[in-house]
Amino acid sequence: MNDAYDGYGFDWSSIPGALPLLAKGLSITFEVTVTAIVVGIIWGTLLAVARLSKSKLLSTAAAGYVNLFRSVPLVMVILWFYLIVPQLLKSVFGEGIADIRLASALCAFALFEAAYYSEIIRAGIQSVSRGQASAALALGLTPGQTMRLVILPQAFRNMLPLLLTQAIILFQDTSLVYVIGLSDFFGTAYKVGDRDGRLVELLLFAGAVYFVFCFSASQIVRHLQRRFVK
Amino acid sequence: MISIRQVSKSYGSFQVLSDCSTEIKKGEVIVVCGPSGSGKSTLIKCVNGLEPFQSGEIIVDGISVGDPRTKLSTLRARVGMVFQHFELFPHMTIVDNLTLAQVKVLGRSRDEAAEKGLKLLERVGLKAHANKHPGALSGGQQQRVAIARALSMDPIAMLFDEPTSALDPEMINEVLDVMVELANEGMTMMCVTHEMGFARKVAHRVIFMDQGRIVEDAPKDDFFGQPRSERAQQFLSKILHH
Ligand SMILES: Nc1ncnc2c1ncn2[C@@H]1O[C@H](COP(=O)(O)OP(=O)(O)OP(=O)(O)O)[C@@H](O)[C@H]1O
Ligand SMILES: [Mg+2]
Repeated sequence: MNDAYDGYGFDWSSIPGALPLLAKGLSITFEVTVTAIVVGIIWGTLLAVARLSKSKLLSTAAAGYVNLFRSVPLVMVILWFYLIVPQLLKSVFGEGIADIRLASALCAFALFEAAYYSEIIRAGIQSVSRGQASAALALGLTPGQTMRLVILPQAFRNMLPLLLTQAIILFQDTSLVYVIGLSDFFGTAYKVGDRDGRLVELLLFAGAVYFVFCFSASQIVRHLQRRFVK
Repeated sequence: MISIRQVSKSYGSFQVLSDCSTEIKKGEVIVVCGPSGSGKSTLIKCVNGLEPFQSGEIIVDGISVGDPRTKLSTLRARVGMVFQHFELFPHMTIVDNLTLAQVKVLGRSRDEAAEKGLKLLERVGLKAHANKHPGALSGGQQQRVAIARALSMDPIAMLFDEPTSALDPEMINEVLDVMVELANEGMTMMCVTHEMGFARKVAHRVIFMDQGRIVEDAPKDDFFGQPRSERAQQFLSKILHH
């Protein structure tokens, strides 16, 4: 019986030695999350603006994109990208791409999340009164400047809690990359547990880590909500 | 300076403006009044191209508003507009509200724009509030900022759409005072308002609208002396005894 035996039949001893590996996994989880948030919000904003534009072509195309991604399971998108993107990336960048799994996961998440972010941002844009746009246009700002300088900043501010909530969901969803064998935090925990025959302990530990991050983040969201919803 | 010629506009089969014509000379102050839904806001928004119209012509300082070749943003930069609900930008400080368009549209430097903005804030008595956000100001103060914001673009004319109708009664005068001062300085103004005291004091002409038509377009004294149309008489007696 070793020191880490806690008396409940669990053996946590394989965790300390695996911490460097787990940390590396966690960094991949964060890399996917942050990329998907940044690209997803930028691309999602463009989609939202396109969807609300007067051009029938743009708004139909944006609506099609959003509805497509919102109608398929994320896990399937991740697999599709793993099967399609490597060929694409190779043909664009040559064979020099270091990690095909990571690259395809980043693409899948960014494009998938953009669909969800665009819906949040579209609601945000519509939450800004029409008078604001009239006032900006009346000052001589162009429609583009009006959107960028007056409407979008207010849209983001109004939607901040929802954007952050979506980010928390996204952080949890990144664990789905296990289907393409990418070692994110969850994947690493699983592999270590499997290797050492301590799967239950590792998964409980991983769950605790996810909980700490998500719970703290949701507390921040609640705090922000209280500040903004006055 | 502003000529409106046979302007008509409809939403589907609903005629909002029918054959409206009038002429506003430089330095003139026009008050537009009429019952709710008569098309006052629509008419005033047509002047700076915020609302498109199907037929007729509006010429502002020699430029045709309806002409597809007209760059509307350039035209709008020269015509100030004040709205019923102020429409200050709530995510910016008061001084940023005043500098935004000066910098982005007129290409003024930030310092130059801020200096001009502060001077105008001083003029409407709100310099001390320059670094606050609009939400911290009362309605009357916000509307004075909105007027200062429009003036910061050095407009050749000002359009007002019921600038005092969303205000508590005790705040109406502080806004009207600014408008009266502006009128006395010779600003060309087109004001949708039911403040007949303001009209009596500074208006040159009063336009009365009903169901999308300009029913009466008369010098102030004639309008208040004896409006020709029965609708205007009824409207006046209602509003004056209110
Ligand atoms: N986007 C729109 N679609 C359809 N009808 C509209 C639209 N905008 C305005 N209208 C109608 O046009 C008419 C004129 O509206 P407008 O706002 O110009 O009136 P108003 O004289 O300014 O009234 P108020 O005193 O209430 O401000 C109203 O009957 C209104 O319902
Ligand atoms: Mg109106």
